[in-house]
Parts: sequence; structure tokens; C-alpha cells
Amino acid sequence: MKLLEVKNLIKHFPVKNHKGQVVHAVDDVSFHINEGETLGLVGESGCGKSTCARTIIRIYDPTGGEIIFDGQNLATLSQRELKPIRKNMQMIFQDPYTSLNGRMTVRDIIAEPLIAHKIGNSQKERHEMVAQMLKQVGLNTEHGTRYAHEFSGGQRQRIGIARALILKPKLVICDEPISALDVSIQAQIINLLTEFQQKEKLTYLFIAHDLSVVEYISDHVGVMYLGKLVELSESKELYKNPLHPYTQGLLASIPALDIHAGKITDKAEMSGDLPSPISLPSGCRFCGRCPYAKKICAEAEPPMKEAAPGHMVACYLYS
Amino acid sequence: MSKEIIVSPADWEPLDIENDLREKIWSTQRTFAEDVWFRFSHKKSAFAGLLIILLLMLFAFVGPYLTPYSFDTQTLDFSNIPPLMEVTNVDDNLFYITANLKVIHVGNNGKLLAALPKLKEDTAQKIIYYDFNGRELPLSYQKKPAAILNHEGKRLRRDNKVWNTSYWLGTDGLGRDLLTRLMYGTKISLIVALIATFVNMTIGMIYGGISAFAGGSVDTVMMRIVDIISTVPLTLYVILIMVIMTDGFLSIIIALSSVYWVTMARVVRGQIYSLKENEFVYAAKTIGSSQSTILFRHLLPNAMGPILVTATMMIPSAIFMEAFLGFIGIGIAAPMASLGTMCNDSIQALRSNPYQLFFPSLMICIIMFAFNYVGDGLRDALDPKLKK
Repeated sequence: MKLLEVKNLIKHFPVKNHKGQVVHAVDDVSFHINEGETLGLVGESGCGKSTCARTIIRIYDPTGGEIIFDGQNLATLSQRELKPIRKNMQMIFQDPYTSLNGRMTVRDIIAEPLIAHKIGNSQKERHEMVAQMLKQVGLNTEHGTRYAHEFSGGQRQRIGIARALILKPKLVICDEPISALDVSIQAQIINLLTEFQQKEKLTYLFIAHDLSVVEYISDHVGVMYLGKLVELSESKELYKNPLHPYTQGLLASIPALDIHAGKITDKAEMSGDLPSPISLPSGCRFCGRCPYAKKICAEAEPPMKEAAPGHMVACYLYS
Repeated sequence: MSKEIIVSPADWEPLDIENDLREKIWSTQRTFAEDVWFRFSHKKSAFAGLLIILLLMLFAFVGPYLTPYSFDTQTLDFSNIPPLMEVTNVDDNLFYITANLKVIHVGNNGKLLAALPKLKEDTAQKIIYYDFNGRELPLSYQKKPAAILNHEGKRLRRDNKVWNTSYWLGTDGLGRDLLTRLMYGTKISLIVALIATFVNMTIGMIYGGISAFAGGSVDTVMMRIVDIISTVPLTLYVILIMVIMTDGFLSIIIALSSVYWVTMARVVRGQIYSLKENEFVYAAKTIGSSQSTILFRHLLPNAMGPILVTATMMIPSAIFMEAFLGFIGIGIAAPMASLGTMCNDSIQALRSNPYQLFFPSLMICIIMFAFNYVGDGLRDALDPKLKK
């Protein structure tokens, strides 16, 4: 059953002092997530992953397209109408240092969603719920009276997770929840997230630029490039058989621990940088960096097509 | 003799790593306020400023209960008496001669006892005879300065200096105690400044907060209004308000409160504008917290540092403005003392009684210095970039 379906989502930002010009942050992105599953979204910095997530949860208002969550189109709702829906849709943020208010105690931070949605009759009851939540993310009840700056990065991120999960949401959008953490802590957070998924039947939209983490956690993976979704497939299939030259390049850029494995090193490597999202190249957006670029690539944008069963790719190589 | 230490093998066993132990925060709990206080109190000038402010408050609020005089107690006989008196010694009795040729009997401890009653005046000789316990005391004003004559008609020199212990800082032209009036004046200054600053802070925070938080065209319009207000010279504006309203305590506060919030609104707006792109604000939004929760629970508390600094810096200028209004004669109404009106009163007799101007202006200086140092210290203490 589809919990979230995004159809042709568009988010453009106007460029200041340049009337008519826009940043094409998210351009015509469509995907869906089934209940209880995880969709990983990968791509380079600046490709629109986070904007996509923030538009879905309506921090930003979408320029176009539909966000169908639980059978309701969020794209057209006002902030007031969104409030009851927010209960079922929460977000874990990238930076554990700026995502927690430094002037509030941890207990107040985690209790804020409860107060906003009027859950719990008394402060005592809410504090009890917070204490329980703290225990679930591996912190002590006494930590509740502390301020965020006294915690380590991993602990802070767990506080962020506790805040997101205390409402028992259906969908959790994880916006690069581990990219600001040490490698040793990353595993801890990932394990915590998968543990919660099994226990609470959560659905994740997991955004990261670390491909190996996404492979581990996701059922499906979408690859974004310059605001566009270029490839979407089951996780195993994508890593085994990447079709889009960009995906191949991304996978090739993972440093292999075992040089004899040779599994991914024969794939094409990329050169160059992301073009400006304001003045886009004509045709395929990856055209300028693609080792297989043909004439048609510079002329028209390739449509998203099913190249193999359940494996969607937007590339002329497969049509 | 060496002591034998017995270590059982069990002591070398690795400890169980308890989850509680692993998650323990080893640092002592220090809140933000404690942090700020630590840095503030380690800055000498700021701490001295705070100490001075506390002393000034003690002086202004407790002082009036300790003096025998009120701000309007007049003793016309004892007008314009300086704190350090040059007195004439006549047979171990001390006499102070005032500028308008009165003779005041001064005790050995510096207490002003009484003004001597006048017996008669010899205008030809320019001698006034005063009665001192039935004795005639001649005062000659033929030559300046006037002097008491002894039995042989010789001018006695004013060669003794005595501190005025009845009026420690002397009296003004109406014979009112300068110290008491200084206490009341300081009190008025502090109250006016604190209330005006508090009101400005509140208006500025709400106005600037809303402006930045709403953003877009609301922000543009609100800030242009601020721009327009700030182009009118504030002094002129306050004077105009004071002219319309009756002079008094309340109208001074209203006048000052309606002006200085402009700076505060700008500061708050700038702060909120940079804060509202933080992830914790987005987090509050996705949680579903209301706009007012986001503004008052998340944004404003995080902007409190610069707000407090601006407020502290605003106090001295409010004090100075109040003094200035008093000085040009549209401040606190007449019998009540304020530092500005005291300065104004002393101007007429500046040549002969400079102390009357000296003390209130010194007080203004001290207050402004103290608040400026505290503001400086607060800014350093609240600046997270300097955090050690």
C-alpha cells in the first residue's frame, strides 16, 4: 500500500535581483513509498534531495505537483490544515547541532510535539512519555533536564530522533541524519532507526549521500541529479546493475576496501561539476559530464522509462 | 618500613560497561545563565560597573529613608552652604558667614546650629551687629569678603575649615539638602531609565520579531515605518511630546518609551532574520508548533543576548535624555528632584557655588559609566564566539 506518493513535484526558488530567473531545485520528481518500507534518495550535494524532503513535509511550498500522503494531497493544503497531518509525518534533521534549540532543556524539546498536538493531559504525564522515549533512544531520564549543548553529536541526534518519534508518526523523513556524525556513531544511529522501523512499522524517506548506508537501509533507492530523479529501482538491483551513467559514476566513486573485489571499479567515472541549477543545460542534464553522451542527449530530455522490471531510468541508452 | 599493598586479582577484572555509564555526561551541569555569569564576573570593568549600579540603587532607594530631610525640606537660613565651610573662630565658637551676609553658628563637629539674629545695622560703617547669646558680634562688609570683627575692631580671618556634617553635600539656593535631593534624583533617573528601557525592549522585541518572522512585504512595510520614525531627531520628538503633555514623571516615561524602541526593533529583526533559517525552527514547524510558539519559545530566547546588550546600552542614553529634559526645564515638575533639574537650578549660582553643579553631574557620569561598562561586559559574556 502506498503511504506517500509524489507526483511531478516541482520546487523552484526565485533568484534575488534577477527577475524571471529561478533555481530549479526540484524538477518533476515522482516516486512512491509503500508502508513499512524505506526509500533511499541519493545524489551529490546541491542536487535537490533536501529540498525535495522539505517540500514534501511542507517547510517549503511546492511550485507544482502533488504530494499524496495517506490519500490526501498535501500540496494544496494550508499550514493550518496541515497541522493534524504533521502528527503522522515527522522529520529528522541533518545537523544535530543546529536542529535543537539551545535555550530549551532536552525534556522541553522532546515534549514540544506533545504540547503542539495536545497529547497528554498534564505536564507530569508528558514528562513520563518523554522519559520513556529517552529510554528508547538509549538516554537516561536525568538527561531530560540538561541542555542540548552538553551532549555529544550522536546523543544529540538521538534526541532529534526522540522528538520525531514521540508522536508515533507513520512516515519519518530522515534528511541526511548521519552525515554530520562520526563514522563510529553513524552505525549506532542507523541501527536505532532500523530497530524503530521494525518495532513501530515506520516508513522512511531516507536521504543521504553515503551510498553504502543507503544500500544497507533502503528497500528502494532513487538517484537524483540536478533536481531530477534519474534512476529509481529496488536497492539490490540498483547496486548490482546500475543503468544510468550517473549512478555508475556514483558507485564507482565509492572507495573499495578490497581492491581485488573489482566489483565496481570498472564502471565509468565522472569528471566535472554540477552545472548551475539556474541556467540548465538543454537536453539531458547530465549530458556535459556523461561519457556516453550522444547527439540526442543535448537536444531533448530523456523520459523516465522502465528499462528492466521495476527498474526505472531516464537515459537514452536504454530506449 | 614499606606498607604492603594487597591487590586481589578480582580488582583487575574488566568492569562491565553499563549503558548508564556510557551515556553519562561527565561535565558538571552549567546552564547558559551560569555560563554568562562566569564570563561576566571575570571581566573586572563589568563587575565593577555592576557593583556601582547596586551601590547606586542602595543609595537611591534606601538612602531617602536614612536622611532626616525630604527632597523639599527648605531651611532658608541655611541656603547655599557648601560641604566644606571656611569658618571664623571667635573664642572657640565657629561662625560661617554666608554670601548674603548671614552669620551661622557652627558646632565644633561641623553641625549647623543656628543663624544668629540681627540686632542692628550700621550702614555708614557697613557693619551688621548680630546677637550671639547676648553678646554683640559685629560683621563688617566694607571689604570683601565680609569678616567678623574682634574687640579691637580687627577683621578676623576665616582660617578654620570644617566639614558640613548637617548637610554632607551642602545645600542649594533654597536651603534644601543636596545629598537628599541627589538620592531622589538618582532614584528618578534609575526608575525612568529602567521602565523606559523595559517598555522599549518589549515593543522593540514584538515589533522586530513580527516583522522578521512574517518577512516579505509585511517586513518591508514595518521596517520602512521604523525608518521614517528614526529620521525624526529623537530629541526633538521627545521635546514635542513633553510640550503636549504636562510635565511629570509619567509623561517622561511615555515620551522616552515611544522613541527608543526603534533601535531595539532593528536589532531584534536582524537577529530573528538570521535565526529563522536554523534547523530547529524548521523542526518546530514540522512538529506543528504554532507561529507564536516558534517566535516566543524558539526565536526570541535565542536572540536574547544582543537584545539584553542593546537594552543595557539604551539605559544610559535614556538617563541622559531624562537629565537633559530636566536641564532644559521640561522634565520632572518643580519640587521633585531629578539630576537634570538639579543641574539647571545650580546654573544661576555657578560662580559662587560650583559644588551644586558638580555633584549631580558627577552622578550622571557615574551612572552612565556604570551602565556602559555593564553593557560592554554583557556583550562579551553573551557572545558565543568568545566562549572558552
